[in-house]
Amino acid sequence: MSNCIEITALQKTFGTKTAIADISLQIKEGEIFGLLGPSGAGKTTMIKMLTGELNKTAGDIRVLGSTPDKFHQTSFKSQIGLLSDNSVLYERLTVYDNLKLFAKLYNAPLNRIDEMLEMIDMLDAKKKVVSKLSKGMKQRILLAKALIHRPKLIFLDEPTSALDPGNVAQIHRVLQKLNEAGSTIFINTHNMEEATTLCDRVAFLHEGEIKECDTPENLRYQYSSHMFYVETFDGEIIQLPNESESADKIASLIKTGTVKAIQTDNPTLGDIFIKITGKELV
Amino acid sequence: MNAARVMAIFEKDLKEFTKNTTILFTPFITIILAIIYSRMETGDGLPLIVVYAIVGITYASVTSGVMMILMAEENEKKTLRGLIMSPASYVEILLGKSLVTALMTFITLIISFIIMESTNMIDIQQIIGLLVLFFFFLFLGIAVGLFVKSVGMTTVYLMPIMFIFGFTSMIEFLGFSPDSIVIKITDYMPIPQLVAMGETESWSAIGIVLIWTIVAGLLAFVCFQKVKKDRA
Ligand SMILES: Nc1ncnc2c1ncn2[C@@H]1O[C@H](COP(=O)(O)OP(=O)(O)OP(=O)(O)O)[C@@H](O)[C@H]1O
Ligand SMILES: [Mg+2]
Repeated sequence: MSNCIEITALQKTFGTKTAIADISLQIKEGEIFGLLGPSGAGKTTMIKMLTGELNKTAGDIRVLGSTPDKFHQTSFKSQIGLLSDNSVLYERLTVYDNLKLFAKLYNAPLNRIDEMLEMIDMLDAKKKVVSKLSKGMKQRILLAKALIHRPKLIFLDEPTSALDPGNVAQIHRVLQKLNEAGSTIFINTHNMEEATTLCDRVAFLHEGEIKECDTPENLRYQYSSHMFYVETFDGEIIQLPNESESADKIASLIKTGTVKAIQTDNPTLGDIFIKITGKELV
Repeated sequence: MNAARVMAIFEKDLKEFTKNTTILFTPFITIILAIIYSRMETGDGLPLIVVYAIVGITYASVTSGVMMILMAEENEKKTLRGLIMSPASYVEILLGKSLVTALMTFITLIISFIIMESTNMIDIQQIIGLLVLFFFFLFLGIAVGLFVKSVGMTTVYLMPIMFIFGFTSMIEFLGFSPDSIVIKITDYMPIPQLVAMGETESWSAIGIVLIWTIVAGLLAFVCFQKVKKDRA
């Protein structure tokens, strides 16, 4: 499979402040890629550089085969969907009028509007004025707006932050469906659960550098201690390495009836992040 | 440049216009003033200087004002970013908004002229003058609209435009002597030129207004280049 996004030795500085120190990264077509990092890590800056809103300081970027000097072209923009961290709708207009504007700007057929509303389960709200909608509803409309032209590559900057679980699940369902239909998804998030369940691959961004980049499963395995924790009825915890010698010991403990539980440690992405950065993810 | 995108912006802004009390209010001020002026009419029609007072108010408040407010709102409410990230270009956005502004301006003017029974405006020279003058005020509105960040700030720019360019003819009534420096300068400003044109029928008035319009156009262009550069 070819690469959708190729980043080589990318740097971004704001005056004397380095936001992105040195990043190289490839994202494959059809992937759901999660960029994780605490506030100020440079996640938004990354998306802005990949969508042409900010210029890079150094390094190379290729998105869908295009270099940043092509990012303003309609042919490029019509392949990209963007839900940024502070996207907004026209509050005075109806849901329909908002989507109609963007359908026309992207030259998408107008019947796409109903299709998108159905996908986000908001067909009932079509004629509602945006200012009357809840935050979660607005976010779903913003998602519909970002997807109205069926982009090949979708950028989402913390799409589910501060939403209730119902709205989050709904948005995840939509993203999964789109991904199955072939879209590549680049998502910035704080939410470790989101990253674990949704993403094929995640990268940990910290102080402008990528500290780890792999599938959530591989990372969790890599950062586990590879130990068995055997808890006895006496309350004792016996640690045994994941090696063949441990098998006999565990078997004999079970035979004597002393084992209450056997556990492995399976760190969450959140645990791993704290290990890497020494910081909580908030 | 894509006409479909310009029309999409036009349609959106027209819909917003009808739901925005700040903007919707502006044509009404002019129309109410036109009604008041029409009451002062004594039988042989309102003099051009009064008609141009209404033109000045319309162009300053509706043309420059609405253009500024439309842009300021997009900036203030962060909706401009969504437009810029879409295939719509700055030029398309400005054109769509200019069309809304033009529509509102000419509806307001025509209603005011009908109320004031301003038959002296049914004249090809005056109509050409009005059109050139429209672009002068539109360019001022665009120039300010490109960088003004909030609707509240638009008044700061709108007031000078209103008094200097909208009410120029009224300065005569402040009691300056005809050969004072103030009057000499104001005589060369757009509205007094068009008022004088009513008597002299000289095309040079339109030439002078055209120069003002070109200067305003250049100012808008400079602001446009600056905004584009700031974004890069
Ligand atoms: N326009 C700018 N001018 C100066 N500094 C900036 C600018 N934009 C971002 N920064 C700095 O760059 C760093 C990265 O910011 P960025 O917004 O990319 O972080 P983030 O990971 O998206 O954070 P959050 O999770 O809070 O959204 C921060 O230290 C920020 O202060
Ligand atoms: Mg951010």
